[in-house]
Amino acid sequence: MSHLLPRRSVLRLMLACPALAADLRASSSAAADAGESGLVDVNASLFHWPFRRLPDDEPGLLAARLRKLGFHQAWAGSYEALLHRDPDTVNSRLADACTRHGGGLFRPVGCVNPALPGWEETLRRCAEKHAMHAIRLHPNYHGYTLEDPAFERLLALAAQAGLLIQLAASMEDTRTQHPLAHVPDVDLRPLPELLSGHPQARLMLLNHRPAAAVTAPLAALPNVWFDTARTEATDGVARLVALAGRERVVFGSHAPFLIPEAALIRVEEAMLAGLPEADAAALLGANAARLAAR
Amino acid sequence: MPALAIPPWSPMPPPEVLAGFEIWDSYLTQSRGAALMPSLEALMPVVERFALQKLCFFADVGLGTGNAAVEKWAREHSNEIEAPLRRWPDLMLGMIQLNAGDVPASMRALDRWLRDGTMKGVYFPGSAPGGLNCTHPNFDPLVARIHELGGAIMVHTWFKTGEEAGPHGSTPADLVALAARHPRQTFICAHAGGNWELGIQAVRGSPNIVVETSGFDATAGFIEMAARELGAERILFGSHLPSRSLGTELGKVLFADIGEEEKKLILGGNFRRLLGMGR
Repeated sequence: MSHLLPRRSVLRLMLACPALAADLRASSSAAADAGESGLVDVNASLFHWPFRRLPDDEPGLLAARLRKLGFHQAWAGSYEALLHRDPDTVNSRLADACTRHGGGLFRPVGCVNPALPGWEETLRRCAEKHAMHAIRLHPNYHGYTLEDPAFERLLALAAQAGLLIQLAASMEDTRTQHPLAHVPDVDLRPLPELLSGHPQARLMLLNHRPAAAVTAPLAALPNVWFDTARTEATDGVARLVALAGRERVVFGSHAPFLIPEAALIRVEEAMLAGLPEADAAALLGANAARLAAR
Repeated sequence: MPALAIPPWSPMPPPEVLAGFEIWDSYLTQSRGAALMPSLEALMPVVERFALQKLCFFADVGLGTGNAAVEKWAREHSNEIEAPLRRWPDLMLGMIQLNAGDVPASMRALDRWLRDGTMKGVYFPGSAPGGLNCTHPNFDPLVARIHELGGAIMVHTWFKTGEEAGPHGSTPADLVALAARHPRQTFICAHAGGNWELGIQAVRGSPNIVVETSGFDATAGFIEMAARELGAERILFGSHLPSRSLGTELGKVLFADIGEEEKKLILGGNFRRLLGMGR
């Protein structure tokens, strides 16, 4: 049906008629299952941001907004992961919410904190109990650096388990953070050497603001991907693709903390700056789909 | 270059719909000095696609507000400072950057560029070399003169977590103090203080302060809080192009949960009114 009507007409119909919306969501899900291309957001989160309420911080609201934008898949972490110290309950709530909301939109991404005792069991549960395809790390909020031996062990274990690692380089501009939770961006400089030693590990950077001195050595590695959530400037996404290659840039919104439409429009701006349509299509869905399928 | 087709996944309305918002950008941060004109040229595809009707740039006029190369260029090419206004007369607006640390030179610049020229107002930068905390008494004669000339005043402001504004920068709270001394002048609080929850609360009791929207990530809830606490009439859209993107900056307003008429005010109506160019 969505192929017969202009997308905006479909969206207006969905807003006017919830029952139709449910049918269309099912149709969209079926299309996704059939392997048709669709938009994938690799960087969403559920629940409440610790420092303010957000307009779409209820899973149903976020799902509706992302569906309205045409996403058929959103990889969702949990904001609870930032400060909670029992990640297993965080991950269970996340997995449950991803099942109950969004009609198959959300794929849960569990958190693992290698600074906590027993983190290996948390990682095992992500892979085996929840059948997650990825885990998300927050080194700056969890108080360890990438030079910590536990991080290297996590690289190895995640690779063995077939888990993609999402490493959030930041969650918020350091200038606007709460003064009692003022955390610097993750120092990524140890990563190239570490990843060179773990070629089976697959690592995706979230919320990284590209800077040549840090980004270029990472882009030279075959097992690093970059999301677009905090890639700024009118030609920022185009420059990132030029640096990293078309297969290693993926769409991330950082919703609901950031406005998801903003990130989508930045891809359109990249096309105005010369990004080929095929490259835009790859970063909007195909690259993530390929990663999730492994 | 032929216009690209709008991608089917783009949430941005087509140009003809955006034109209805009559978008005037109050904050452009293009490269300065010799790089100015090429950087503006490079912006034209996005300006056209996103239907920006006016762009306001902040010219360095040789008062010590730029780096050494910019200052040298400004002094040696003063006839080029208004070049964007001549090249794109229907598109460009200009304000000059003043150095409140040098009041006599700033006064002369006001005569040259506002009284005798085409500039619409003044931008006070927020960092060295030309920035000065806006509570400094040097601001008083400058503000009085700008008011006489009918100019707009924008002040760079940030509340940075873990940092003081220092002698070269200003916070929204500093601007509140300046605005209280000049109640007949409207002041634009650039970046809403960055830390916008704090900035909005700081200025909400000062009716002669409006906030500008650019310079930080597209954090959800910003425009909703600003509209709730200040009213849409006290919010001005800024693009921060090209170092920021229109996805980020226009997205903050277009996809906020506020009314269409409020969006029209923020995207252009308020800036037109402030400049005395409104309908």
